[in-house]
Amino acid sequence: MKLITDNLSPELPGFFQDLTSTPKLEIPELSRRQFFKVSGITGGGLVIGLALGTGSNKAKAQSAAADATSTLSPYVQIQPNGRINIFSKNPECGQGIKTGLPLIIADELDCAWEDVDVVQADIDASKYGAQFAGGSLSTPMNWMAMRQAGATGRAMILAAAAQQLNIPLTELSTSNTKVVHATSGREWGYGEFAELAATMPVPDAASLTLKTKDQFTLMGKRFTGVDNHDIVTGKPLFGADTRLDGMLFASYTKCPQIGGRALSFNESHIKSLRGVVDAFILDEFGNPKMFNPGGGDMFSGVAIVAESTWAALKAKRELEIEWDLSNAEVSSWSEIVERAYAMKDEDGEPLMTTSRGPNGPTTVPASKGDAEAVLQNAATVVSGFYEYPYVSHAQLEPETCTALYQNGNVEIWAPAQIPQSGESGSAVLLGIPAEEAAQRVVLHQTRIGGGFGRKLANDYVFEVVAIARRMEGRPVLLQWTREDDMSGDYFRPGGFHSYTAGLDSVGNLTAWQDHFFTSTGNDTAPMTSADLNPNVFPKDVIDNVKLSQTMFHNAIPTGPMRAPASNAFAFSFQGFMHELAIASGKSHVDFLLDTLGDPRLANPENPQSMHTGRAANVISEVARISGYEQGASEPGRAKGLSFYFCHSGYVAQVADVSVNANKEVKIHKVWAVGDFGFIHNLSGAENQMEGGIIDGISQLFNAKITFENGIIQQQNFHQYPLLRMPQAPELEVSFLEPEEFSPTGGGEPSMPPVLAAVTNAIYNATGDRIRKMPLFELGYKLV
Amino acid sequence: MATLNINGQTMDIGEIDPSTPLLWVLRDELGLVGTKYGCGIAQCGACTVHMNGAPVRSCQIPVGNLTDQQITTIEGLAAADGTLTPVQEAWVELDVPQCGYCQAGQIMSATALLNNNQNPSDADIDAAMSGNICRCATYSRIRQAIKDAAAKMNGTAFYDAVQTGEIA
Repeated sequence: MKLITDNLSPELPGFFQDLTSTPKLEIPELSRRQFFKVSGITGGGLVIGLALGTGSNKAKAQSAAADATSTLSPYVQIQPNGRINIFSKNPECGQGIKTGLPLIIADELDCAWEDVDVVQADIDASKYGAQFAGGSLSTPMNWMAMRQAGATGRAMILAAAAQQLNIPLTELSTSNTKVVHATSGREWGYGEFAELAATMPVPDAASLTLKTKDQFTLMGKRFTGVDNHDIVTGKPLFGADTRLDGMLFASYTKCPQIGGRALSFNESHIKSLRGVVDAFILDEFGNPKMFNPGGGDMFSGVAIVAESTWAALKAKRELEIEWDLSNAEVSSWSEIVERAYAMKDEDGEPLMTTSRGPNGPTTVPASKGDAEAVLQNAATVVSGFYEYPYVSHAQLEPETCTALYQNGNVEIWAPAQIPQSGESGSAVLLGIPAEEAAQRVVLHQTRIGGGFGRKLANDYVFEVVAIARRMEGRPVLLQWTREDDMSGDYFRPGGFHSYTAGLDSVGNLTAWQDHFFTSTGNDTAPMTSADLNPNVFPKDVIDNVKLSQTMFHNAIPTGPMRAPASNAFAFSFQGFMHELAIASGKSHVDFLLDTLGDPRLANPENPQSMHTGRAANVISEVARISGYEQGASEPGRAKGLSFYFCHSGYVAQVADVSVNANKEVKIHKVWAVGDFGFIHNLSGAENQMEGGIIDGISQLFNAKITFENGIIQQQNFHQYPLLRMPQAPELEVSFLEPEEFSPTGGGEPSMPPVLAAVTNAIYNATGDRIRKMPLFELGYKLV
Repeated sequence: MATLNINGQTMDIGEIDPSTPLLWVLRDELGLVGTKYGCGIAQCGACTVHMNGAPVRSCQIPVGNLTDQQITTIEGLAAADGTLTPVQEAWVELDVPQCGYCQAGQIMSATALLNNNQNPSDADIDAAMSGNICRCATYSRIRQAIKDAAAKMNGTAFYDAVQTGEIA
């Protein structure tokens, strides 16, 4: 069987690197070239078409939304009836960005929110730059650009009003979607100037006057999701809700032993089944074991195309497939666990870090000071070996995507977190040259029924594109089953930390040693999201740190999941910090604050490093509002504290927990204090924090994926239970909003701290130190 | 030719494989895509609809068994003029949805609860809602939205009773 083997470069573009580790934020200024390409002319549909090439698929696809409106920019249009269209550029996966970004524009545009219709933007890098949902980056990356977009629209409307009314610009102001002439008391809706405004020269970004915080009329309050009404009435919003004339429905079945290739199957039987239109083998493309959103990579399998979803799924159950297992995975988690525990007292290879000097990048050991010497003289030495498992994203919407292939071009309807990579990867898969991809691959983004990082990968997009190519001229909707999803994930990788740390005679942390155990597919670097950030806390705040690493060969696919790396490290780091706090004789709060030290940027050379003052503030505040005390409040009941910094966000959480003799755990309440800078939609930020806490508790107790001989052992929710309503604790969420810091995202930093907040509470209540997730394997049960 | 009673209307579903779960008939044959597929084994509740007023998992009900049953889906809750039910209203106002994928099922379970019990305790809510998973973990807002909806319904009932003279 012919296999396509040419692969894309494994190098990921910069922002994918950011998604997989602690992000390096670069807040881009608005690109005038991109932003104003289509501005300044009325009849936006026609103009957008011209800008992108007359008659292209993309032009046709995007003209409808712009028809008969005045286009001020790719983000702002005024409809003939005076209502304002605001385009939301990034994918919505439950993080609230479809509401959040337009809110920023609307405030600077000086609109009443009731006058705004939010429109999901199509995918077009030439108009919108990077469009993705990941790394808690949507708000910080777009904060300034969205403000400028709104202020630009306001300036153009004011300029048009001045000209049309023949009133000096200085006498006009705006309020609630109206132009106001204070001296005469007259006011006019923005719509009256729409046509002229669209012809106004675009003001220079430097000339714009942005609002000050006290001038915000919208931001800072609670706003409900713009799709809420459609969600509660069951309107078609999500990927699998796509319906097109002549549509077919497909299933796709891959090898249970990951990486096996389909050789043959019971084709004539499958094709004889009711409703089945076609069935065929697809070859592997690229190197799908490795997370690579833009490469077209996909596993081999058998596609069944049918008249209905049910016909495709029913036939799937009757598949008998012969697999070539020569490149299939053979690793087993149980074996890896055994090897890690056997090595827990040994040293690993030095963890390396790359630094940029005058002579270019140099790779040097990440350790600093002399941890070994300091440990030898330490008053107290504490050790702990921590384990955490592979985890499935388990977003509630199983992977799905629709594609129509015609005349060598493809149109895609995708719930995807990096849809632009879905486009570029589809071009690679189809052999479309990169310079033609923008014209020949059109992707429409749908609402995503949960992402959590799973839909950063585009494997399901590429699968349906490959299927649609075989079914030329008919749209095909691919529907994965839950079993396909759970056994075919880019999983959160499991791993181990062997910690040793030293305290001096007054209980201060003086040395930290971490031997990290992880997996590698290429024997040179860890799998995606399976690396230890060499600058991870507490490296920047203490003088002697030794970091080493052992990699096991194991290419079970891994990828980013909500708070990549932090979603596991927070459990072990902050559990071990509590062990040290106990050993120090200080209170947990004091130990953390003493370790953080004076308020400062922890690494003055890295503006993205932790600010110790912001960290201390959330810890102190959550201790205050929760009445945190170290000891048990009653037999078997205590509070536990934890803190984590990741994705530029600071969160401290306290859990109030009871444990009975049967190891049944009741979490009464969790308090959370976050610092994400200024919060522009309080309801959205609260939602992320509430969800993050319960997500963490759910994973802590029950989430574990195992594999034996390369075969995933869990298939559906009966084997991988998620937290349910009766187990959900009461939550109290608040935010510190220091004036001097601009907004960062809340989706990811909200989740990690609760892991150790709960295990530290269990220690405080019972004396049982938990060093392994999930807790069900230790006999604990969440009730 | 088979027919179903969905949202008060008789709907023609053609010559269909009788083993087809109601979920896929709703989505693929009738275009009622508000009801969601999440697991296919009645674990997640995303496909919850009402059968004669009771919440059921539509992924588990072969359409061949459905003669003479009254089915209500998420699309059938709001009034013909678009007026939302108190449950839907509470969901919007409290900003319950995050990704929103499970919420049709959550709303159907909550609606069935409140149709039978307009003063549910926390334990009642736990019992009625434990079959519905929310991966985004909006549980605390769901609980509050059910209480808000109950208050709205009781308020309406009180108002109606005053209007009809049952309460002076």
